[in-house]
Amino acid sequence: MPHQRFPKVQILQMAPHEMRFILSETDTSVANTLRRIMIAEVPTLAIDLVEFHENSSVLNDEYIAHRLGLIPIRYQPVDSLKGGDCNGAFLPHRECVCYERCPRCSVEFELDVTFDDANTFRSEEELMAPLTITSKDLKSNNDTVAPAHFLSQDEQDESQDAGVAIVKIGPGQRLKLKAIARMGIAKEHSKWCPVAIATYRFWPNITINEEQIATLSMEQKQEIIDVCPDRILEIDNVTGSIKAHDDAWDMCTYTEDLQEFQQTMKKRKEDDDFVTVEASEDRFIFTVESTGVMDAEEIVMSGLRVLKDRLNFLAQEVENLKDM
Amino acid sequence: MNAPERTASFLLDEDSGEVKIVYSDDTKVTNAGTFRFNKEDHTIGNLFRMQLLRDPSVRFAGYLHPHPLVYYINLKIQTNNSTVAPVEVLSSAIEDLANETDHLITQFQEATDNWKRENDTEGQF
Ligand SMILES: [Zn+2]
Repeated sequence: MPHQRFPKVQILQMAPHEMRFILSETDTSVANTLRRIMIAEVPTLAIDLVEFHENSSVLNDEYIAHRLGLIPIRYQPVDSLKGGDCNGAFLPHRECVCYERCPRCSVEFELDVTFDDANTFRSEEELMAPLTITSKDLKSNNDTVAPAHFLSQDEQDESQDAGVAIVKIGPGQRLKLKAIARMGIAKEHSKWCPVAIATYRFWPNITINEEQIATLSMEQKQEIIDVCPDRILEIDNVTGSIKAHDDAWDMCTYTEDLQEFQQTMKKRKEDDDFVTVEASEDRFIFTVESTGVMDAEEIVMSGLRVLKDRLNFLAQEVENLKDM
Repeated sequence: MNAPERTASFLLDEDSGEVKIVYSDDTKVTNAGTFRFNKEDHTIGNLFRMQLLRDPSVRFAGYLHPHPLVYYINLKIQTNNSTVAPVEVLSSAIEDLANETDHLITQFQEATDNWKRENDTEGQF
């Protein structure tokens, strides 16, 4: 293992639904692999099979089945507040030994809403208005698995809505079905994608040429600072030179203006730039936002484990190749 | 009726005898060969290519994903002397990457644990 790298991770901000971190001392290929795996290969649960018993709503069976598939299904292990990694807790249904399905590879949801029954419990002013069937009406047969409605209890308490709307029904209508959730990956269908956002951007390396800056007047320095739309530069009050803002790495997006403008200030064309901003090749700022199926940190962790398993598998396959 | 299998992009078609990796020696270039990875894409292709290029005994490493609806990649490797076979450098590249991933898992775990300790997030996690 002569060419191994030892990357570093620094957390910037972390919440159940979103996290930001810096990945450093590795290269784009690793950052991009991690990003691609989080988007397409982290296993989650999603409704994949629906048995309709009665559907007299205005939407047809396929339409409702599709909508059910898109509802985020959350696995929350016993004694945990986290949206956890279902990989390991469940088996991919194609790998399971059962005949059709079993609790190891699937979760069943029952839904049965009849307008006329539900209407009797509604208030006077709501009476006879269309009834919205939501993800809240899905009754799971597994205590650790439920549709993800809101990010937190607080958000739920403040909301007017009961959950993810599926279909509206009116007098005389009924929807009765059984939905089966299975584990899968987004390569098969994007309903299994755990992330709303998984991106990285390059850390900006901001270099200030003190020698060159010293040839500028105060007004000229201010002009350079003002031309940057992200305002990544400021006057250094101690030295009177220009310095990068403390949060410049986060603010920095577009630096073409800065690059173009400083050419006009040079005494000779071949002079060095006053300020250069370059994309780092070994430092990346990741943003991961969850759809609600699992905590952001779990998505990253699960992604890394998926990568590890894949590499172990491929290493074994390459070994087999040697023996042939 | 002519829809491809939903699993076509990630599950080996074992019924038709599909295997994960097929290797073929290059007929014109010495110390070179092509690995065909079935059911893989840029995720692994570019990762392997970049890791191989860090190895001084690799003269050439490149991969090709012919089309988004074609579910394999071809990885071509040439080494710079006959004592090291392409399969050897590939094997050590994968080993390095596996170790790097292991390291990353520990780093990430430590970083999140530390963050939680430093930022009082009682009840949030
Ligand atoms: Zn089963």
